[in-house]
Amino acid sequence: MKKFVNNPQQFVPEMLEGLALANPDTLKYVPEFNLIMRADGPDPNKVSIVQGSGSGHEPAHVMIVGKGMLDAACPGDVFAAPPFDYVHETTRLMASPKGVLLLVNNYTGDKMVFEMAQEMSAAEGVNVKTLFINDDVSVEDSTYTIGRRGVAGNFFVIKAVAAAAERGADLDEVIRVGEKVNSVTRTMGVALTACTPPAKGSPLFELGEDEIELGVGIHGEPGRRRAKIMPANDIVEELLTPIVKDLPFSDGDRVALMINGLGGTPISELYLLYGQAHKRLAEQGITVGRSYVGEYCTSLDMAGASITLVKLDDEIESLLKDPAEIPIRVF
Amino acid sequence: MTATNLADVEYVVRIIAQTAVDKEKEFGDFDAVVGDGDLGYSLARGFEKVLADWDSYKRDDVSAFLQQIAVTITSRIGGSSGPLWGTAFLRASVTAKQFDEITGTAAVAMLRAATDGIKARGNSDLGDKTLLDALVPATDELERMITSGANAADSREAFAKTTRERAEATSELEAKRGRASYSGERSIGSPDAGALAVAIIIERIVAGWPER
Repeated sequence: MKKFVNNPQQFVPEMLEGLALANPDTLKYVPEFNLIMRADGPDPNKVSIVQGSGSGHEPAHVMIVGKGMLDAACPGDVFAAPPFDYVHETTRLMASPKGVLLLVNNYTGDKMVFEMAQEMSAAEGVNVKTLFINDDVSVEDSTYTIGRRGVAGNFFVIKAVAAAAERGADLDEVIRVGEKVNSVTRTMGVALTACTPPAKGSPLFELGEDEIELGVGIHGEPGRRRAKIMPANDIVEELLTPIVKDLPFSDGDRVALMINGLGGTPISELYLLYGQAHKRLAEQGITVGRSYVGEYCTSLDMAGASITLVKLDDEIESLLKDPAEIPIRVF
Repeated sequence: MTATNLADVEYVVRIIAQTAVDKEKEFGDFDAVVGDGDLGYSLARGFEKVLADWDSYKRDDVSAFLQQIAVTITSRIGGSSGPLWGTAFLRASVTAKQFDEITGTAAVAMLRAATDGIKARGNSDLGDKTLLDALVPATDELERMITSGANAADSREAFAKTTRERAEATSELEAKRGRASYSGERSIGSPDAGALAVAIIIERIVAGWPER
């Protein structure tokens, strides 16, 4: 497998250095802790919003640090939870009098590290809480989790809590918003290929030329079932039906619809999926109020996609509409 | 109100750290029977850092001292042992703030907080074949001795003896947590490595107490 790589051990630090050099006015890079933070942070007048996870899911989360989104992100190595001291030091550096919220996708390793960092920082006097995101509908338990996994739907939780924080909400109010959005967000993904971690150099698992993995997690870990490749519209049906049934979403609902690329699928294919999902929802009386198509939470170079639905109300829609300035931009 | 009589606490932490380093191979061999054999290595890497940093720890009070130990071992011990052992020290640190002096009663409260922390962090309980199956009944016994008015030396001996007996008795249990749980019923017949390690550490603490 051909990759742009020098020393695989330096893959994450070299990516973070590039990110910081490309955004000198808005981002600050602290190499000791893999930390990317807002250059002007922490802001004492707002709750600091922090998310960490393994690397390999970019743009999540280091590339969505900026005004209106995350105040900081502290990634671990590729697909590995950040070490405890990175999260602990990040929490201390981001301590604002209004508090710190640590957002965590529900994977066992991340959960243990972030809970520990929260408890340690709290014992030191930092006002800090954790919020776990678990939007995946495909499995109740998986290789690395206790309970449902947190996947691409975490984008909506981040956007909403960050907007609430920018508006001046206190920590309890920010958590209320985050829990609310998490409770109405549902995601399911599909892999067409495996992904290749730079330090491994070969695919993480075997997926036959004519096979797809339905309900895949963001590390390629297995989900619901393996199936033969099928037409795109049928794949949309395989993902959308369990999502709609799960909440459930029903006639008259207004939703945000996200088609998230897993890293190796062209945006043309993502829009093809979007069109079908949008029409199928309309047939069920579900209106798409906000649409998102692109790469939000990826698995390195995996070909595949996930669909996320969020049930909107006036509060959530208003928070999602607030402005944000992050490194991902097209002009 | 925070206890500042550090000498006994320093002694206990130093013996824990020294034992983890001295017994690296032995603890690893215990773990290799049903686990993945990394317990000795993990604990030694964490506690050798504690010994290396020993003189740099601030000693304002017992709580602050123990919290720095918690940070070091959580950062340095790999896998789930780091957060589990770190939580034990952190909860003991927070509990120490409630006492003017670290007495036997305070020690029981700190041990209780430590084991409760391990339960919460590891989502585990008695009977899961972990170090809890040795340390919790030993703490109960220590508390019983102190409450009944036994002298300190007898209380310590009873604490060590119960830890050892209950650690050996984990042989009868089936592992439900950690890597050892992957071997399921095959874990029956061998004691839990963490429980045995705790027994050895506590025996050393108690044996050296008069000359500490």
